[in-house]
Amino acid sequence: MSALTEIYVDNVTRHLPEDSRPDIAAEITATIDDMVDARLSEDAAASPDHTAAVEREVLEELGDPAALSREYSNSPQHLIGPNSYPLYIWALRWVLPIVGLLTVLTNVVTTIALSPEAQIGEIIGKSVGNTVIALLTTFAAITIIIALGDHGLDGGAAAAMRRRQPGTWTVDDLDRRDSRGRQIRAEAGLGLVFIITLATIPFIPTSLFYVGHLNNGETFINPDLGVGWLVGYWAVLALMAAVEIIKFTTASAKPAVALIGGIVDVAMAVFLTIALLTQPVLHPELTNTGNADFQQIITVIAIWFITVWDQVSTWRIHRRNRR
Amino acid sequence: MNEDEDKALATHEQELRRGTVVFASLVACRRPQYGYSLLTTLTEAGIATEANTLYPLLRRLERQGLLSAEWNTEQARPRKYYTLTDSGAEVAAALHSHWFELNSSITKLWKDGTP
Repeated sequence: MSALTEIYVDNVTRHLPEDSRPDIAAEITATIDDMVDARLSEDAAASPDHTAAVEREVLEELGDPAALSREYSNSPQHLIGPNSYPLYIWALRWVLPIVGLLTVLTNVVTTIALSPEAQIGEIIGKSVGNTVIALLTTFAAITIIIALGDHGLDGGAAAAMRRRQPGTWTVDDLDRRDSRGRQIRAEAGLGLVFIITLATIPFIPTSLFYVGHLNNGETFINPDLGVGWLVGYWAVLALMAAVEIIKFTTASAKPAVALIGGIVDVAMAVFLTIALLTQPVLHPELTNTGNADFQQIITVIAIWFITVWDQVSTWRIHRRNRR
Repeated sequence: MNEDEDKALATHEQELRRGTVVFASLVACRRPQYGYSLLTTLTEAGIATEANTLYPLLRRLERQGLLSAEWNTEQARPRKYYTLTDSGAEVAAALHSHWFELNSSITKLWKDGTP
């Protein structure tokens, strides 16, 4: 597959559901190769320049990759379509004023009934606040209901065979940025933010989460926990961060890097399991109940559940990308 | 025909072809076909089809259970072969009879309207 075909296929598949991408990419690639071969077989003098020109011709015949992608996804890329738009506008025009009026009346009546000495300012404040919430909720509900109905009304195979404007797209319009690389970078960036957050956990005071009264605003972690455990925790986090930095800088997730990442994740799970099962890791005043051991065991189960889930999903993505 | 009439004709021909391609694809897939072979088969049969509409259509017909698809990796270039399912055969047969009904209706209309 040439670089140009690869970019074209990437442009088509980048907006499709991840599980369908490899299959569609393989099919489009085979098609492009078949079409190019068929045209070249008609021509005895197939120089590299001519081959490139034929490839361009084939890609331009296939047309705008965004349009092809829409044909594949077969889903409307609008929230409210022309079929439902009149109903939507009608619903907004009639339902919103009715809801607004009813909410104002209900609020005025209930405020006066419940507080006979209510000030006019209190009545206006309560009524306006609750009416705004009611109107926003109604607007959201109408939009979601009609959007769902609109998408359910979409036609079948023949109806979906909409044609795009021909001749308006050329190979020069291709987005040559590597979408997979960008995705890997974004995931690695998020991973780094997550790791930094994990690294700060030993310093986070409980008062930040409105549970400061339980241990006088101290940290979530047991202050008597040995320094060695904390250093070990940060060391494993540093390894995890190194893996994410490699993914970020290379914009690729090679099997070796993914394997090392998996090993480091499991090492962290083992480390946390040992730490949690051998001593009170959480602040004793936060777990000062008869169920403290049970809480630690639940935490260990949760850690392993997340680790196994992460490994399985990573392995599935790699297996899919290998196809 | 002037330019406007040519445009109108092209639009109506396109509309006519769209419905025909689904039926023609089902008929052609009675024998296993991969994308490009189907494209060639339809073109040679005089049913002009474009690849950018045919491939997504094949996937939709597969999702609807009218075609089954299988990758053949034994050849130098892996290809996805589509074959008509039993349900697809029933739909194709129904479309075939509708086709004849439409044909006779149009023929009759044409004769009745001919001065």
